[in-house]
Amino acid sequence: MITRRQFVELGGTLAAVSALACEEAPPQLASLLTPATEPVAPPASDDVDLVSHVVGRLSFGPRPRDHANVRSIDPDTDRAVERYVDAQLAPEAIDDTAVETRLRRYGELEESAGELYEYKEQVLLASLTSAAILRARYSERQLHAVMVDFWTDHFNIDSAKGDCRWLKAADDRDVIRAHALGSFPEMLRASSLSPAMLWYLDGRVNRYGAPGDRPNENYARELLELHTLGVHGGYTQQDVMEMARALSGWTVRSRREVVFGLGKVEFHPEWHDDGEKHILGRVIPAGLGSRDLDAVLDLISLHPSTARHLATKLCRRFIADDPPATAVDRVASTFVSSRGNIAGTLRALFATPEFMRVRRTKLKRPFHFVVSALRATDARTDGGPALHEMLRRMGHAPYQYPTPDGYADDETSWLGTLLWRWNFAAALASNRIAGTHLEPAAVRSTLGGEAGLRAHILARRPTVAEREILAAAPDSLPLLLASPAFQRY
Amino acid sequence: MPSLGFVTGIAPRDRTLVVIFLRGGADGLTLVAPVADDAYHRARPTLRVTEREGLPLDDVFALHPRLAPLVPLWASGELAIVHSVGSEDATRSHFEAQDLMEHAGTAAGGWLGRFLRLRAIGQPGALCAVAFGTELPAALRGAPSATVLRSLSTFSLGDGAHGMLRAIADLYAIEHNAIGESARDTVNALQRLERLANAPRPLAAADYPRDDFGEALRQTAQLVRAGVGLEAATIDLGGWDSHFTQQQLLEPAMDRLARGLAAFHRDLGPDMARTTVVVMTEFGRRVAENSALGTDHGRGSVMFALGGGVRGGRVLGGWPGLGSDALEGPGDLPVRTNYRNVLAPILSTMAEPSVVARAFPGFNLEPAALFG
Repeated sequence: MITRRQFVELGGTLAAVSALACEEAPPQLASLLTPATEPVAPPASDDVDLVSHVVGRLSFGPRPRDHANVRSIDPDTDRAVERYVDAQLAPEAIDDTAVETRLRRYGELEESAGELYEYKEQVLLASLTSAAILRARYSERQLHAVMVDFWTDHFNIDSAKGDCRWLKAADDRDVIRAHALGSFPEMLRASSLSPAMLWYLDGRVNRYGAPGDRPNENYARELLELHTLGVHGGYTQQDVMEMARALSGWTVRSRREVVFGLGKVEFHPEWHDDGEKHILGRVIPAGLGSRDLDAVLDLISLHPSTARHLATKLCRRFIADDPPATAVDRVASTFVSSRGNIAGTLRALFATPEFMRVRRTKLKRPFHFVVSALRATDARTDGGPALHEMLRRMGHAPYQYPTPDGYADDETSWLGTLLWRWNFAAALASNRIAGTHLEPAAVRSTLGGEAGLRAHILARRPTVAEREILAAAPDSLPLLLASPAFQRY
Repeated sequence: MPSLGFVTGIAPRDRTLVVIFLRGGADGLTLVAPVADDAYHRARPTLRVTEREGLPLDDVFALHPRLAPLVPLWASGELAIVHSVGSEDATRSHFEAQDLMEHAGTAAGGWLGRFLRLRAIGQPGALCAVAFGTELPAALRGAPSATVLRSLSTFSLGDGAHGMLRAIADLYAIEHNAIGESARDTVNALQRLERLANAPRPLAAADYPRDDFGEALRQTAQLVRAGVGLEAATIDLGGWDSHFTQQQLLEPAMDRLARGLAAFHRDLGPDMARTTVVVMTEFGRRVAENSALGTDHGRGSVMFALGGGVRGGRVLGGWPGLGSDALEGPGDLPVRTNYRNVLAPILSTMAEPSVVARAFPGFNLEPAALFG
């Protein structure tokens, strides 16, 4: 082990701690931290400790060395955790070349919206799904990956609808990943002009040509109900209709209409209702044209109802299905005072006593469960079709949720997936998943043996009852992954 | 309005819907031939079903002789047929027509997936929706949980499953909460399936066609009998795109379909009362045969509905005749009944009418009188 001073002298940011511990780290540096051959200490208490709690919530689950690595940041656990959180909130400072290297084969996902049409839709969906799994499994920017998952549901787009088949890849890159820990107002604006979103919620056909034309309200409604104010956020049907008028005229060049400039978003003044609008008690004057968009987004992106809606969802993700009101209040007020700064809002959330106090209140959704099992066992994976199939069985295939509300984030919605989780645990532990491989002996030795493996996967020492059940089994690994404790975070 | 499930005394949650999709555009005029219509015989000099060959259904229609195994189900009043049925999609493209039919409009998700999610009768079990095959059909997209299976044997924990399942049950036994409860349900379902798999097969099941289709039906019956909470199953049967040498293509396909359905009916026995099978296809074929002894893509075809209290022994949908003024576009049987109106009354046995309406957004339902 190195001292903290030595570590600082390495010139690394604290963020680099986890980066160095990753399996692709340059060997000479990694060995200074936790030599690959030297076992690390697993969680040692009977209850889930603070480090396990925080790593469990900010990531897709700890890898064998993560607990020890976070503790090594500072002898004082609170300080170590604080610095781990700080590092995760600044992902750009975390070296992530390892995962970027793995993603290089999915170059098509970096294409412009227009170029995406050159690819087969099935190829794009498979690549997107693989990339999501690989990022969640391998990225050192774990909180960023977790928030990408969060926003993907918040701004849900079913990749099967219309040209979303091609355009979701651009939305994932330019809206979700670009802004996941950035500014909410900027993310909202990017989403409103995302070609995939214009397709998914019919904004592209929201056209006002002649008096009497009725606007298409689909996007306007979901913008208010799901993306910003929330269903009880205090808007009326009249607000929805006025919002739709304000957003009319924005469209995207589609396959059936043009040959050039596919996927290009443009404003058609002749399809825009340029009259005066009344939204949420405010007047948008006539004649603003395309500037109506920013005028209405300004009304809603930092609205108190938006703050409350987002704070509730964030607290549901990070604290409990039924989030405590005091925490929601604090997070909502930080959202407003930080002008929708997502990292700043999360920092406030992670500092609430409610967040610090809770343990294991959340059921992992299937994607989280699958990836956390891969991480817990240091499994190598190509993120390929075998895993896509497993996720589909569990009803959690990425980018395939049909309605705009996104996959649910509560326990009840996912209780029916237990059998497939057990099935996955058994298949993973016995290396029966194509494209994925783990070495149980290596994991055990990293954690100093069987007892270490148990404490690592359960995030605490096993109870007496668990010990007896595990002792009677020929192989504990599938059972540990299938256990109720591992379904939670 | 109470849904039909309550009227017939079978609770909606005990019902299962089995959707068989005939991929490729099945020729309704061969499956259920209007043998009493002279225009039919004139349009199909080579491919027609003659009045002598056909198995008479009513004054107009006769079943193709290869569908003979369906006759007893027709006679017992459990099998209903709807003629001149299809969707509003007039592209005559397999992809477009199947896409529209399965999505049921431009809403996201498939009609069946949406329906299952909307009706939400409680905890979705691991086997609440099963698609036999290698891919999830578009109709099932958006279901709370959907399983693609080639065989029920996939549904196990692999080697040493027995011990593992016991240990898992023990680990969850101390969980006195929703997760523990769900785990106990799951363990029970697995054990029921295991017992069924090991039980001697009923003799009646022996005559399923020996192919993927027969196997899918057999396993569907197994799931229904096991009471594991199967709400819907989908099975594809291909081989209906009969542009040339139609007879050679369709006869074996009809064989499989009819033998499979008859075996399923026999296998399920009394459980057929809570199981409805619906057979559908993306479109029918051109009325006139082509020069390659086949038929090209058309519009209206047929749908079958079997079991679950359907009042059968009837061909619904009427018969417009095949006079040139009755045909559509290049000479196609028009769609007189939208396929949603055939699905809707069946779904209404499983959920409130308002739920059914929401599964088919943007469409004004006029449910066919399948049950009345």
